[in-house]
Amino acid sequence: MSPGRRNKPKNLLMILMLSPYLLLLFLFGVLPLIMAIINVPSKSPSNPNGGWHVFKIVLHDFRLVPAMWHVLGFMALFVPLMILFVVAMSMMLDVNSAPWKKWVRLAYIVPACVSGSVAVLLWYVLLEPTLSPFKGVMHWFGITQATQIWKTSNLTYILVFMAFFALAGQWILIQFGSLQSISTEILEAARVDGCSQFQLATRIKLPLIRKYVIYMGVLVFAGGLQIFVEPQLLNSSVYHGIAQQWSFDQLSYSLAFDNGNFGEASALSLMLLVPSLIGALIVIFKTDMFEDVTLKSSKKIKKEALEREAVKA
Amino acid sequence: MSIDFKKKVPVVGKEPRKRRRKVGIGHYAVNVWLIFWAVLSVIPMLWLVLAPSKTDREVSYKNPLSFASFHGFVRAWKNLQDFNSGVLAHWVINSITYNAAIVLIASVTASLAGFVISASRIRFKKAFLISTLIMMLVPPVALVIPLFIEMNKVNLIDNPLSVILISSLYPFGAFLSYIYYSNTIPPEIYESARLDGCSDFQLYSRIAFPLSYPLLALLGFFAFVGNWGNYFMPYIMLPSPEHYTLPVGLGALFFSTPAINPGNGGTSVPILKPEIALAGILVAVPVMIVFLISQKRLIRGMLAGSIKE
Repeated sequence: MSPGRRNKPKNLLMILMLSPYLLLLFLFGVLPLIMAIINVPSKSPSNPNGGWHVFKIVLHDFRLVPAMWHVLGFMALFVPLMILFVVAMSMMLDVNSAPWKKWVRLAYIVPACVSGSVAVLLWYVLLEPTLSPFKGVMHWFGITQATQIWKTSNLTYILVFMAFFALAGQWILIQFGSLQSISTEILEAARVDGCSQFQLATRIKLPLIRKYVIYMGVLVFAGGLQIFVEPQLLNSSVYHGIAQQWSFDQLSYSLAFDNGNFGEASALSLMLLVPSLIGALIVIFKTDMFEDVTLKSSKKIKKEALEREAVKA
Repeated sequence: MSIDFKKKVPVVGKEPRKRRRKVGIGHYAVNVWLIFWAVLSVIPMLWLVLAPSKTDREVSYKNPLSFASFHGFVRAWKNLQDFNSGVLAHWVINSITYNAAIVLIASVTASLAGFVISASRIRFKKAFLISTLIMMLVPPVALVIPLFIEMNKVNLIDNPLSVILISSLYPFGAFLSYIYYSNTIPPEIYESARLDGCSDFQLYSRIAFPLSYPLLALLGFFAFVGNWGNYFMPYIMLPSPEHYTLPVGLGALFFSTPAINPGNGGTSVPILKPEIALAGILVAVPVMIVFLISQKRLIRGMLAGSIKE
């Protein structure tokens, strides 16, 4: 990775080549955060004198606690459901490699193309007893009118289904990919020792793909916390008022664009960023997912270079 | 970090660990369940693709998964074209041009960044990689309000440049490129090229770039898939209908027609369920085609940097 030690490279051209990405990273990764922090103490109708206690004002907003319960309820169902289902399905796919499973895997990727506004359209249809391809099943359960399903109290479950259906397939394939990277020798050895398929899955495969499962958990958690498009579209276009400021991001959006209160909106955005950042740092430093990046100290790089020189000599 | 991008992907590979063993009822149950979930995964998309073949009335009363006629597609397409004096054409063109610009800028900047980090000895390499990883793992939605404030300051709201530039930051692509170059090009090659008088830029243009085609395909694939269906960012940054992308336009169609919510009032052209479904197809099908073609790439890319061999 490190180039020749004797002729030290002139780094100017390298820095020039890196600069477009670096500029984007600064402009759209770092600068917005600085601007949000500057914006937090600005004067607003709810904070007429300005100041940092706007965080307190946001925490006391009467809409925050309901949004928190909604999102927590959503996450409590969505994250474990995703992890358990995806791990179980990928293990089932990995049991053997019959040729027909190729088609099954292709089918699993299809819901991933349905996101945002198309997902809302499809779920409107799926849960509308007069239109749904599953209307027979719905009628069998006694559901004949949309109002039996589409109510605020059911929204958590509906959104869990929407998010789960959109994401599960692609994660099944990704975890299946990680299972396929387990060496066949390990699996053979376990089989020779008398492991059943179930033991093989729980005692050998699961510990070996643990870091990918954590990686998925963090991405699913961070994404779930920021749920916006589905409740927002349902609320504004399909069933008016069903999901008014239902999620944190909707509240943040409403503070910014309905109330024009960018101080509070920035404060809420910054607060929401903290769990996502902690999740990211856990994946980077507490799992060995990216260990080559985090552990590769200059000592190790030097050692590698020395070893290379020795081999050459 | 040793992922081999040229190696046949294990996903569709035939593993040698196949062995004849007793097949129990549990085995069949598992297979039936796997197929059941596959069917369930395809049904909504099937509905979407078949709905425009029917009239609005047929969508409600005919078998949801039946096909009516090709004429239905033509009729729905004409109606969509007439909506708001042909604004749909703008949305299609916007989606294509914004995405083309994003895919191009994002792929070029990310591949250059990955190359520099793998081939140079510039300072703060580790800090750079860690900040890229953080940006990669924090969902983009988290920064939307701060980004809006920033774009508002520089008067780029309602200017497509805002969405194009913001979406061109591609930390995942930069990381993927770093892994790719680290694994495909041994540092000794750069060393000897330097001895032969290659400048740093020639190292990229003559050595790294010609070896980058698989990487560029991966970068383009992920940039396209990640941005084509993006709703939140263009929704916030581009309020004028003529600047909408297809997903935002589809949201606007919901809002402005009685097709889904009768409370929305009527429109001069019949924008009903078949028309909305056809607009949905325009958003979903390009991604589906790319996904189905590149299923292997998705998995390999998502696991990049972590598969040990």
